[in-house]
Amino acid sequence: MGDNVQHRPPPADGTTSLSSHRSTPAYTPPSSASSPFKKGMQQVELELRLLEAFAIYRPSMLVGMHRHFILFGLMDHLERRSVTRWCRLNQRFSPDEVLQLLDRFFNMDLLKPGDEELDLVNHEEDFSLPPSMFEEIKKKTSA
Amino acid sequence: MGSSYAAVKDESEGSGDEKPETGQFTEGEKVLAYHGPLIYDTKILKAEFRKKEWKYFVHYLGWSKNWDEWVGADRLMKPTEENLEKQKKLFKNQTGDKQTKGRVPAGKQKSAAEKELKTESKSLATVGKKRKSDPVVEAKDSDDADPLLKIALPGTLKKQLVEDWEFITQMGKVVKLPRSPSAEEIFKKYIDFKTKRDGAVEDSLVEVLNGLRSYFDKSLPAMLLYPQERAQYASVVPQGSTISPSSIYGAEHLLRLFVKLSELLVHINMEQEALTQLQQKLADFLKFLQRNQSNFFLTSYG
Repeated sequence: MGDNVQHRPPPADGTTSLSSHRSTPAYTPPSSASSPFKKGMQQVELELRLLEAFAIYRPSMLVGMHRHFILFGLMDHLERRSVTRWCRLNQRFSPDEVLQLLDRFFNMDLLKPGDEELDLVNHEEDFSLPPSMFEEIKKKTSA
Repeated sequence: MGSSYAAVKDESEGSGDEKPETGQFTEGEKVLAYHGPLIYDTKILKAEFRKKEWKYFVHYLGWSKNWDEWVGADRLMKPTEENLEKQKKLFKNQTGDKQTKGRVPAGKQKSAAEKELKTESKSLATVGKKRKSDPVVEAKDSDDADPLLKIALPGTLKKQLVEDWEFITQMGKVVKLPRSPSAEEIFKKYIDFKTKRDGAVEDSLVEVLNGLRSYFDKSLPAMLLYPQERAQYASVVPQGSTISPSSIYGAEHLLRLFVKLSELLVHINMEQEALTQLQQKLADFLKFLQRNQSNFFLTSYG
């Protein structure tokens, strides 16, 4: 999958399983479970999960004010699907790890906030409380 | 502006039995209107009293004038949060396509209408009720696959919001700035509190809090200020400055964000599980605000 997209060079120590397709020869897997083959599978699985997640969490929303809630959603999505048919993925992903993964698919610098957001921040509307709130308070105080 | 706020108050206190002089809706008002099974953003171009009832000539925003038509009040409703949610829900069920949601005309119009959300009068409650028995809506409502964010504010925080409204819109006061603790400091205190209690704080919680802060910073000038507070904002955050509202505004305004949050999130899709998680985290944070209500909130405004 990710072979024709630009991705980061593997870190020198090769300890993180997220950063590369290639298993680094210098790194001896602690068990058969993380053989080079398995590791490749994990990577593919992870990328599949991520692509699947993009259908729900629009990557274009990673810039601008929705960024954190979208990241929260992606973290939740990956965590929830950490055990797949083929292998067990990392259980938890930090926001940085998720962003690192995303970097394989998108040039984050080129992403722009959506129109909805620009509409919102460029427009001023006055704050008002929903009428239900007044009614509720009134009921409480008169009771 | 001030008078319309007063109107809200009057109506919530009055008997509500008076004969409407102008009908529920007025010319120029932006309202939601049923057209077939969906709800659209419209503007009332004309209002006329005919055959003992009010008729409204509406234009569907973003659509050709050919669609303009006269409708009765039963087809119209105020763009309240609840009604906007309904609009979103019906539209989403119709298309069944989450991806394009924010891009198609109805979605776009909606965001335009949300911004027109101003004051709401009591009439919307009755219209809302009438609509609930509408068979079309009922059928759609029961098909509830759409995850929606529900934020339940604790009662004492609601009271706080009403007091806030009274201080500012009725007594002409403002919150003295900068506030201590600021919204930013409140987030920090919350993290400290959670760390002490649970030993550590999850990454996901940090992300949610960061999210709240960025929503606060972006939405404060756009939708969290009463008109009486605009001048103050302009003086504490001069145009072009990089001061973030979360560093000067405090709990009073942060609480207002929770009134608007679901509106801010209409363009976001979230899985039900994530949404549940999010809701729990927000509820816990609100509880924290409530427990510290006397420390975080002003009891009287300057």
